[in-house]
Amino acid sequence: MTSLRNIFLAFFKIGTFSFGGVYSMIAFFERELVERRKWITHDEFIESFALGSMTPGPPIVNTGICIGYKLHRLPGVLVATLGQAFTGTVLAIILAAFYLQAKDNPLLQSVMKGVAAAVVGLLGSIIYKMAKKLVTGYKSVALAVGAFGALAIFKLNPIGIILAAGVLGLILNWRR
Amino acid sequence: MEILKLAAILFVINGLTIGGGYAMVPLLQKELVENHHWLTNKEFIDAIAIGQVTPGPLTVMNAFMGFKVGGLLGAIIAMVASYLPSIIIVTLVTRHYLQYKESWIVKGSFAGIKPAVVGLLAAILIFLGKSSLTSVPLGAVATVSFGLITFTKIDPTFIIIGSGILGAFLF
Repeated sequence: MTSLRNIFLAFFKIGTFSFGGVYSMIAFFERELVERRKWITHDEFIESFALGSMTPGPPIVNTGICIGYKLHRLPGVLVATLGQAFTGTVLAIILAAFYLQAKDNPLLQSVMKGVAAAVVGLLGSIIYKMAKKLVTGYKSVALAVGAFGALAIFKLNPIGIILAAGVLGLILNWRR
Repeated sequence: MEILKLAAILFVINGLTIGGGYAMVPLLQKELVENHHWLTNKEFIDAIAIGQVTPGPLTVMNAFMGFKVGGLLGAIIAMVASYLPSIIIVTLVTRHYLQYKESWIVKGSFAGIKPAVVGLLAAILIFLGKSSLTSVPLGAVATVSFGLITFTKIDPTFIIIGSGILGAFLF
C-alpha cells in the first residue's frame, strides 16, 4: 500500500497548484497520479472520475476520495481529502478574514484569464491521452462520439448520459 | 448554535446533490441568504468567486461561508460537514465497486461508461474553449500548454504559474 505521507503530499501538491477549477484538477490528477507516480492507471482514473460524478457531492472531491480508498483504504480517503482541500481552505479563510475584493481585482482577473486558457490546453492533452488508451474499437468510438454529441449538441444531463452509457455497455457486453 | 445549523444544512445539501459544486449553488443561496440571512447576496457571490480563484475544489467556498457565520471554528466545521457525506458515501461505493469490479455486470457497464466520460470531457472542452479562448494570444497559450503537457514531462504546476504571469502582463 502507498504510504499515507506520500498520499498526503501528492494530493497537497494537486490542491495547491491546480488553479483554474475542476478541469485543471483533472489534468493534475492524471499527470501526478497516473503518469508520474504510476499509482493508478488511466483506466482506474476514468473509473474513479465516473464514480465520483455519479455519487452525491462535489465530483472532483469524490474522485479524490475514490482514489484515496484504492491507495490506502479509509486512512487514504481522509489523507487525500485533507491534502486536496488544505491550501484552498486556508486561502478562503484568509480571504474571508481580510475580506479582500478578490473578484474585482483587475490584476487577478488578468492572471486568471491566462490560467483559464492554459487549462483548456491541459484538459485537451489529457483527453487526447485518455482517448488513445481507452477509445479503441468501433464500440467505444461510437459511445465516446455519442456522449460528446449528447452533451455538446443536445445539452442532455451528463449524469443521464453516463447512466445511459452504462446500460448500453451492459447490453453490448451481455454475458455470452 | 448557528454554526451547527449551518453544518446540518451543508451536510444535507452535499449529501443529496449530484452534479457538482455549481449544482449546489442555488440551494446554498436559498438556505444561507434567503432563509437564514447569514450572508448578503453580495457576500454569497464573493464566496463563489473565492472558490473559483483559489486552487483546488470550488467547495472551499464553504469555508468562506463558515467563517462569516462562526469564525475560524465555523470555517473548519463547515468544511467537515461538507465533505463528510462524500467521505461516507464514496468510500462505501468504492468498496463495493472494487468487490464486484470483475463481475460481468460492472465490467460491462463500465466498458460503456469509460469511453462516454472521455466524450463528455471533450464536449466540456468545447464549452471551456468558447468561454476562455476569446483572443488569439489566449488561443496560443492553450496551444502551448497542450503541446508541453502532451510531448514533454513538464509539471503542470509550471504551466499554471507561467500562464498566470503571462496573463498579468498580456491580458
